[in-house]
Parts: sequence; structure tokens; C-alpha cells
Amino acid sequence: MSASTHGHGTVLKHHFDNLEQQHSAERLGMWFFLVTEVLFFSGMFVAYTVYRNWYPGEFAFASSHLIWWIAAINTGLLITSSLTMTLAIRSAQLGDKAGLIRRLLLTFALGGGFMGFKALEYTTDYHERFVPGEVFRTEYARPLAELTADDARRKYEGRPVLTAQEVKDYQFKGGQEHWSQDLATRNYGKTPGAEGTVSPERVQLFLMFYYIMTGIHGVHIIVGLGCILWLVCEAWRGAIPREAYSKVEVISLYWHLVDMIWLFLMPLLYLIGTRGGH
Amino acid sequence: MLDGNRGPLPAIAERASVMADLFEPLFWYITAWTTAGFLLVCALLTWCCVAYRRKPGRISTPRILGSHRLELFWTVTPLLVFLTFYAWGVYVYDYAVHPPADAPEVYVIGKQWMWKAQYPNGQRVIIGGNPKNMTEEDRQNIGALVLPLNRPVKVTFISEDVIHDFGVPAFRQKIDVIPGRYVSTWYQPTKLGEFHVFCDQYCGAWHSLMVGKIKVVPAAEFDAFLEGKGGAQGSPNPVDGSLADKGWKHFQRLECQSCHMPNAAIGTGKHPRAPNLEGLFGRDVPIRGGTTIRADEQYLRDSIVNPGKHIVEGWERAMPGNYGTMVSEEDLNALIAYIKWLRPGTQLGPNNNSVAPYGAPRETKAPETNKSPGGKQ
Amino acid sequence: MSIVIGDTPRTAPPPPEPETPRRSYLNETSGFWSWALTVDHKRIGILYLVSITFFFLVGGIAAGLVRANLLTPNGAILTEDQYNKAFTAHGVVMLFLFLIPSIPAVFGNFLVPLMIGAKDLAFPKLNLASWYVYMIGAAFMVWGLLSGGIDTGWTLYPPYSSRFSHSSVAPGVFGVFITGFSSIMTGLNIMVTVHKMRAPGMTWGRLPLFIWAMYATSFIQLLGTPVVAITLLLLLVERLAGVGIFDPSIGGDPVLYQHLFWFYSHPAVYIMIVPGMGVVSEVLTCFSRKNIFGYKAVAWSSVGIAVVGFLVWAHHMFVAGISYYSALLFSFLTMLVAVPSAIKVFNWVATLYRGSITFQAPMMFTLAFLVLFTVGGVTGMFLATMGTDIHLHDTYFVVAHFHFVMVGGMVLAYLAGIHFWWPKMTGRMYSDFWSKTSATVIFVGFFFTFVPQFVLGYHGMPRRYPNYPEEFQVYNVLSTAGASILGVGYLMPAVYLTLSLFFGPKASANPWSATGLEWQVPSPPTVFNFEYLPITVCGPYEYAIGVDQMGRGLPEPPGAGDDNPAAKVGPTGPIGARPKETEVVG
Repeated sequence: MSASTHGHGTVLKHHFDNLEQQHSAERLGMWFFLVTEVLFFSGMFVAYTVYRNWYPGEFAFASSHLIWWIAAINTGLLITSSLTMTLAIRSAQLGDKAGLIRRLLLTFALGGGFMGFKALEYTTDYHERFVPGEVFRTEYARPLAELTADDARRKYEGRPVLTAQEVKDYQFKGGQEHWSQDLATRNYGKTPGAEGTVSPERVQLFLMFYYIMTGIHGVHIIVGLGCILWLVCEAWRGAIPREAYSKVEVISLYWHLVDMIWLFLMPLLYLIGTRGGH
Repeated sequence: MLDGNRGPLPAIAERASVMADLFEPLFWYITAWTTAGFLLVCALLTWCCVAYRRKPGRISTPRILGSHRLELFWTVTPLLVFLTFYAWGVYVYDYAVHPPADAPEVYVIGKQWMWKAQYPNGQRVIIGGNPKNMTEEDRQNIGALVLPLNRPVKVTFISEDVIHDFGVPAFRQKIDVIPGRYVSTWYQPTKLGEFHVFCDQYCGAWHSLMVGKIKVVPAAEFDAFLEGKGGAQGSPNPVDGSLADKGWKHFQRLECQSCHMPNAAIGTGKHPRAPNLEGLFGRDVPIRGGTTIRADEQYLRDSIVNPGKHIVEGWERAMPGNYGTMVSEEDLNALIAYIKWLRPGTQLGPNNNSVAPYGAPRETKAPETNKSPGGKQ
Repeated sequence: MSIVIGDTPRTAPPPPEPETPRRSYLNETSGFWSWALTVDHKRIGILYLVSITFFFLVGGIAAGLVRANLLTPNGAILTEDQYNKAFTAHGVVMLFLFLIPSIPAVFGNFLVPLMIGAKDLAFPKLNLASWYVYMIGAAFMVWGLLSGGIDTGWTLYPPYSSRFSHSSVAPGVFGVFITGFSSIMTGLNIMVTVHKMRAPGMTWGRLPLFIWAMYATSFIQLLGTPVVAITLLLLLVERLAGVGIFDPSIGGDPVLYQHLFWFYSHPAVYIMIVPGMGVVSEVLTCFSRKNIFGYKAVAWSSVGIAVVGFLVWAHHMFVAGISYYSALLFSFLTMLVAVPSAIKVFNWVATLYRGSITFQAPMMFTLAFLVLFTVGGVTGMFLATMGTDIHLHDTYFVVAHFHFVMVGGMVLAYLAGIHFWWPKMTGRMYSDFWSKTSATVIFVGFFFTFVPQFVLGYHGMPRRYPNYPEEFQVYNVLSTAGASILGVGYLMPAVYLTLSLFFGPKASANPWSATGLEWQVPSPPTVFNFEYLPITVCGPYEYAIGVDQMGRGLPEPPGAGDDNPAAKVGPTGPIGARPKETEVVG
């Protein structure tokens, strides 16, 4: 089917009276869907706000050990992809098929880059054992296990904190402070729960938020990438003539929302408190 | 009252507390208004259906669109009525959730699927639950939550596992019992007798067997119960020879007295390596770092399984941390019971064979009655 | 008394009865794939009808098990574990697989385009997708049921559901999560359709109240469902990963779950009831031959319920550990949300005043709704009032209250809708006698089932209890007896409605002589609904004047003694409209 055979007959769907009504309905439908997406994320934001209010110290600590430079790059990638997406709408409105496909592919590449860096970030976090659960607990216990290797029965909750010498003795690669060393240092010599300590349990709570929020956001990016790929296919086979530009517009609305959610997510997760580690 | 009566339920359910006496008038007030509203609607419906049923012949109905005045009337009137419900409800709720400042406190722990109560002086009672989930020890300790007539009692709850709810219909009170957080409510009973306790928040397989009894006794009997005289709760008082005796045996097995020496040993050339435990329970303990902690069951438990948590002022952190692996929950309960029992001059050396029951003539002075031995950690 | 006077519209003579074409949406195309891949909103409505009827049966069987078990104080037929799974199955299936989709997905899908003069919903493929998503979610729930069941109660509170329950929580929760998306899709579709696809002349002020109700419901579905979706997702992660956000051992708060859960689940009950209220407005006006009393009030009260309904969730948590001041606020807001429902009831009763009432099955179900919904609504006041809620929370009082509104209210409204629009959807009429009988049986059975539960709750019998003190047995037996009558009552429509498909007389386009646009097309409608563009000239309930929404005359309505309204073919009433003054209400 070439573009020249398209006209109002195939673009206009049978249950609509005219193209304007159709486009208007499609746009409204997407806006309503975006509202549901906002509410979907808002549940997590509310829960996050509650706990950040309760445990500011632990949240600041955990945030300072996330890989901020990856988040910065990703923000740049995503914002740029929103620009290219909007430019793609313009190409569609002008009927410029080549330009449309080019700009869509550019958006896809930028979004794909985002996911690539995200994958890098997640694997790095995993290698550093900065993952909630048994992995975290074992990693936090590691400094002690290495120093008191003969006391295998010592339980996590029951062990004493590091002495100054133990802290000095335990060097990590490159001299940068690993999160478990940072955590042990902050808790050194203090009774758990006292002023200035950082509860490892609550750090895990932050990590739950980090992974779930960025994870679900990542799923939305992947869905968006799929939609962009679909648009590329549609454009390729000529199914996006000038009159059908609203397809691109509607997907771009979704893409902008996912970008906007990231703009809220990123400072809340990565920019709490002062930076220490990475 | 729990008498297994299978006859018809009374029109007004049994009232056994001040809260119940506050509940009833409000409940019937709402009933009166709502019944009136309902009957009005039914009457109007019936009248319309009878008077305006289709008659043979040509149908002719008036074209009535509405009436602003009527709309206003039946918007404002129900709203005002509802606001009276609200105002009275606030008054009753305010009473129900704000205990008086000086009410004695009892601790109740909910766990799947039983209720355990701990009194200020250390009495432990199993209020009720599913016997199959209990240890033999607990099964023998099933009794009732004893409360004094006409006196307020504050009850503080926590759950060991899932969310439960301590509901007492005769008192018209209930409260969700949550893991990780203490919650409190209070009762002022006004009637003697035994009353149902139900778990009112679904908590798993035996939720419906997590029931128990509250027993309201005259105030004098309650005071005697607190002092350890008499078994008002209907079960062996666990702060007596049996549990504390077991605790003493654990104390010996773990050789606690090698560091925690009795007062009697001081001055014999031996130097204690740990604080003395006699009379510890219920006292305020100064902690390194400047704070003070009340030595309650939680404190004692922490000190055994996690000794680094609170270091007593003036002592080093020296207690080994592996005792937690050497004692079970039952053992801990027993140890704590023993430590609670320890009054000055009562810690035994290795040669004594038995521990006298709490309140026995061996006591040289009357035991301290601690007002509220539990601090919230 | 001042009243509102509307214009008497100019009208045309009634048209000849449209010939019932041989081809309707039911038989235009045939074969499995024409149904499995249909994008026709009417066929999708029928697909939903069949599915939710099936799940009503499943949920009903679970209810039967529950009530049978409660015959004796110590569990008559089930172990405790089986009982816990039975009441959870009953709740989950009835709420998510029956009540929430019922009127929106069946009647909303079928009727919204017809009532506003459109050819289909705005997004037909999304509509079909919503049914498949619903079925996939249902499949997960069925998997949960078949793999041992869930025993957490439909409310799924952690930490029990996340760490302690050994039942098939994950597939069940995932199933609920998925069906939520079906609900969102339906709501979105309806909202866009109502905004963008109304036929000429169909202004907001002329929309049938059913459409207003569907719009308000869709608003709630759109905003509330995503929140429960994320809450259930968090719960799933907590259960499967072993660490979570509500876990007290890492500083999490199980009460936070309750806030997030009830933020949706309270508006959800309005998703369930508001469509029923829409049906009631349609049926009452038609069977009393009168305009709705207070159109604007009823329309805006639906919107008011939808909006204020989002502000009251913590009234489910008065004893759960919320602060004193939160409790004060939520109780106050709950008092406010009760008012619009009261307004509707009074407006409906006033609609009957000086009407000309007949009592066919749709009307009987609707009148039963009015009685039972009123009881349900006023008993909610006991729970909204903080002082009484402490005692009544989590007892059978709550169970009775919500069954009165959901079953006595919503299910009866659903049945009213089924009986009202059955001829339109299927082209057949059912037995007048049996339908009236089933309405009576259901009403009587319902009363006996749930009134004793108020007594039980007042005396403190907790809910979700298979073992209870002996003194409560009499009322439990009474309740179970009522439930068996109710069960018989539900089976009756299944029988006579199915029989009508094969043996019922063919229905005319407008057997009830109703005014809506959906009655101006043949029964059953053709695939594209309208052969011509319908132009609306007046409001939706001009029964007193005798015109439909397109300004044409109405046929003679079925009389009081009519056994077969379908026999009324063609307009036999007066030619054209019957103009009259709008009377003053005394």
C-alpha cells in the first residue's frame, strides 16, 4: 500500500464522523491515559515521601552511594529524546517520511542509550552488593567476617561494631569508600539507634524504592521504545501520511510523560543530601 | 457474660464498661433517625405505588421537573442530622482513645494465635487462643485478663507477627494490634464477670480461635492479684517457683553468675565483672551516652541476645554476644521471670536447690510494686 | 413552590415502526472468530455478560460454602483453612470479576454509544483488548483458586499476605492487578466517547442520567485503579523478594499499605454502585411515565459522589492506628459523601409522585433497590460515626452493611438493567410472571440473609470467623436459610432468560415505550447502530409529553395487566406529542 492511495477513506475510522473528531478523541484518550500513569506513580511517590520524612538520615546516606553521573547522563539523553520526538511530529505534519523515520530512530537511539546506561548502573550496583535483602546483609557483615573469621556463629544483629583499627585496616580498591565501609564507619562506636547512626534496615528500605521506582520507570521506557519502533514501521510502509500525524503526536505525549516522571524521580532518588562516595 | 446461653440475644447487648454506656445512647440515637428516614422512604414509596398505579384509560402524568426548594431542604436536613452523629461520635471516640494519665498499664502481646498479658509486677497470663499453637507451659497458663471494677486500666499492645485486633464487645472497644509499633487503649469496667475477647482483624488459619476472656474482679481482689496473692486469673501464677525456677536453672547452665555476682559475694575478694541483677527489674538504668532506660522485659531480652545494644554507664562492653544462640524463646521467658524475681539478697549461690515462690515468707521485705515497668524502646 | 419550567419541544409525528431487519449485530457475521475478534461494542458487551455471569456463579458457590459452614458454631462442612479460602474467593471474585465490571462493561459498553447517538465507542480495539485483559486477569485468579486458593481475605493486608500466608497469593494478586487495567481501559473509553462522540443536539444537559452515572464511574475508574495497581505490585514484590516497603522488620509500615489500598478500594465501591444508580433513573422514569425529579441534582450528585468519594478512605481505618485528628477529618468527610446519595433517593421517590406506575420486573427490581439501598446507606452512618465504629468495625454489622448496598443495591440494579434492556440486546422478551416472581423471591431471600447479620454485628460477632460463640447460632442459621432462598432467586433469571432466547416472543424496538435513543433502533440493533444520524431535540425523560429524545411520539406503554409487552407493535397511542403545561408542584 503506497502513500498515494491513502486518503480520508482509510485514515478516518468508521465510527468517527470526521478526522477532526477522530484526532481530538485520540488526543483526549491519551491525556486520560497519562492521568492514570501519574496516579500509578504517585502511589510510590507518596510511600517514598512518608519514609523519607521518617528516616531522612538513612535516605540521604543511601542516596549518596548511588551512581549519580549515570543518572545525569540519562537525564540528558531523555530530555534530548523528547526534543527529537517533538521534531518527529513536525516531520509527520509536513508529510516528510524520511525525516520522520530519521527523527523517530534518533529518539529510539537516545531512549535505548538510557536503558543501556541503566543496565550498566544496575549491574554495577549488583556487583557492589548494593541490593536489599540477604545480599545486603551479607555484604555489611563482610568487614567483620574477614576480621573475625573464626567466629562463624556471630549473627548479624548480634555483632559489635568496628573498632577504629578495624576500619583502618580494611582498605578497598582504589581507596574509595565502599558503602558498607561508609556504613560501618558511621555506626562505629555508637549504640544502634543512637543519634548519628544509620540503620542498615532502613537503608534497604530506600533501596527498595530505588529499584522499584527506577525499574517500573524503565519498563515504561521499554514500552515507549516499542511504540516508537511501531511508528517507524508504520511510517516505513507509508501508513503515516499528513492526515495521520496524530499517531506520532499521541505516542509523543506518552514519551514526554515518561520523561517528566524521570525528572521528578531523579532528584528525589539521587540528589538527597551531600555526596560522599562515588 | 460467658455462660453459653443459647437463647435469643438481648435487645441491648451486655454493657460492662463506661465506654459501653457511652456507646449505647449514640447507637440508638442513630438508629432512631435512620429508622425514621427509612420508614419515611418506605411509606412514601408504598403510597406512591398504591396511589399512582396505572389506571385503565388514557395515561396522563404531569410534567414536573423539580423544585429548588425541596432540593435544598433534603440536602441540608440530612447533612445537619449527619453532623449531629458526627459531633456525638467525636465525643465518644475522644473518650475511647484517650486514657487517663495515671491509669496502670498492662501489656498484651498478640501472636498467631494467642494473646499473652504481662502485668506490671511480672504476672504472665495467657488470655486465650488456640491451644494447639501453644507450648505445654502456655497451655497451663491459660486464664483471663484480670481487670479491676470501676478503675481505669490502660492496655498497651504489640504484635509479634501479623496485624491482629483486640476486640471486647462488652466494653464496645477494639484496637488493631500491629507489629513493630505499640498501640494503646483503655477500659474502665463497670460490671463484674467474664467477657469475650475476640481477635477482630483476620490473621490467618486460626483467627477465629484467637479468643479469650476478660475477668472483672472487685478492686481489692485486683490489688491482691497484683501483689501475687491469689490466682484471680484462673491459672498458675507464672511468677512463682515454676517458671522462675526454670530460669534459675538456665542461669546456672549459662554461668551468668560468674560475671553477674550477687550482692552477697561483694566484699569476699571477688570483683564483679557485670552489673548486679538483684532488684534490677523495673528500675531505671543509666546507659552509656547519657540516656536512661527502664529495665523491662524488652530490656532484659535485649541484654541477653544483643548485649551491645545498651551498655550500662560505668561498665565496659564485655558480655559475649552469642548467648542468643544458646537460649530459646521459652528459655528467655524463664530467665526473664527469674531475673524479675530477684530481689536484693535473694540471688542464690550454686549450692541452693530451689527458689521460693514469689510472695513466699522467705521475702524479707514487701516487693516493690512498680507502676509501669515497660518503656517503649 | 418554585419549579423549573422547560421548553415544550416542537415535535414530529411518530415514525412507522422500523422493520426488524433480518440482520442484526448478533447474526450479521457468524463463527467463532467473528466473536473472538469483534470490535463491535455490542458484541463485546455480550462477551462481558457471559463472563461475569460465569464468575457470579463461582463467587456465589463460594458464598454458599461460607454460609453453609456457618450453620454450626464450629464449622459445619469446612476446615478453618478451607473456610478462609472460601470467603477470600467469594470476596475477590465477586468484587473484581463481577461487581466492578458488571454495569460498566456490560451495559456501559452496549448502551453508551446507542444512548448518545454514536456508532461505536471511541476506541473499539481498546474495548476488545479490555475484555481480553479481563479474561487474562481472571485466568490468573482462577489459577490462584485452583492451586489451593488464597486465604488472606480480599483486603490482602500485609504482613500476613506478604510473609506469613502459605497460599497462592501471588497469582491471585497478579490477577487482580491485571483486571484493574481492564477497568481503566473501559473507563477511559467511555469518558472519551461521552466527550467527543455525542450526536448533534445531545448536549450535556440532555444526556440520560445513565450516561452521567457512567461518566462519573469512569472518572473514578481512571483515577483510583492505578493506585491499587501500584499497591498490589509493591505487595507482590514484597512477597516474592522477601524484602518490602510495608515490612516492619526493616522499618516499613503495614498501615501504609492500608492507606494505599483503601485509597482505591473506597472509590471502588462507588464504581460499583453509581452505575446502578444510573439504571435506576432510567427504569423509574420509564415505568412511572414521568420526568426525573431534579435532573441536575441527580446528575451532579453522581459527580459529587465520585469526587468526595476519593477523600474518605481512612474511615476503614479508624481503629487501625491512624492519628486522632485524621480520624476526625475522615469521619467528617464521610458525612459529606453520604449526602448526595440521600439526595438521589429523595429525587427518585419524588419522581414517582403523580406518576402512572406499572410493576414489570425492571420496576420491581428498582423498587427493591430503593428500599434495600436506603437500608444499606443509613447503616453506613453507624460506621461513619467514630464512636460507634469502634465497636462495629470488623463485625457482621459491616458485612451486612456492605451486602445491603452491594447486593441489595448493585446486584438488584444490575438485574433491573438486565430485565430492562434484555429485549434490546437480544430481541426477545421473557416471561412477565416468572420475572416478577424472581424479583420477589430475591427480595425476601435477601432480607432474611442479611438482617440477622446486623444483630450479630451489634452483639460483636467478628467477621471471617468460622468458629463463633454458641449464642450466635440462631441468627447464623436464619441467615443461611435466607441465603438458600436468595440462591434460588438468582437461578430463576438464569433459567427464564435463557429460555427466552429460544422461546420468547420477539420484541419490538421499544417494548417499554421509553424515550432514550437506544429504543429508536431495532431490537436487536444493527451493527452500526443508527441507519441515519439521530438529532436530539429534547431532554431524556419527556414521558409526560409523550416524546422520545428525537421529538417523535411514543408508542403505547405496556399496561398494568399486560403479560406480553412485546405484543405492542407499532405506535397505537396518540399521534404526535401531547403538549401540556408544566405543572406546579404543590
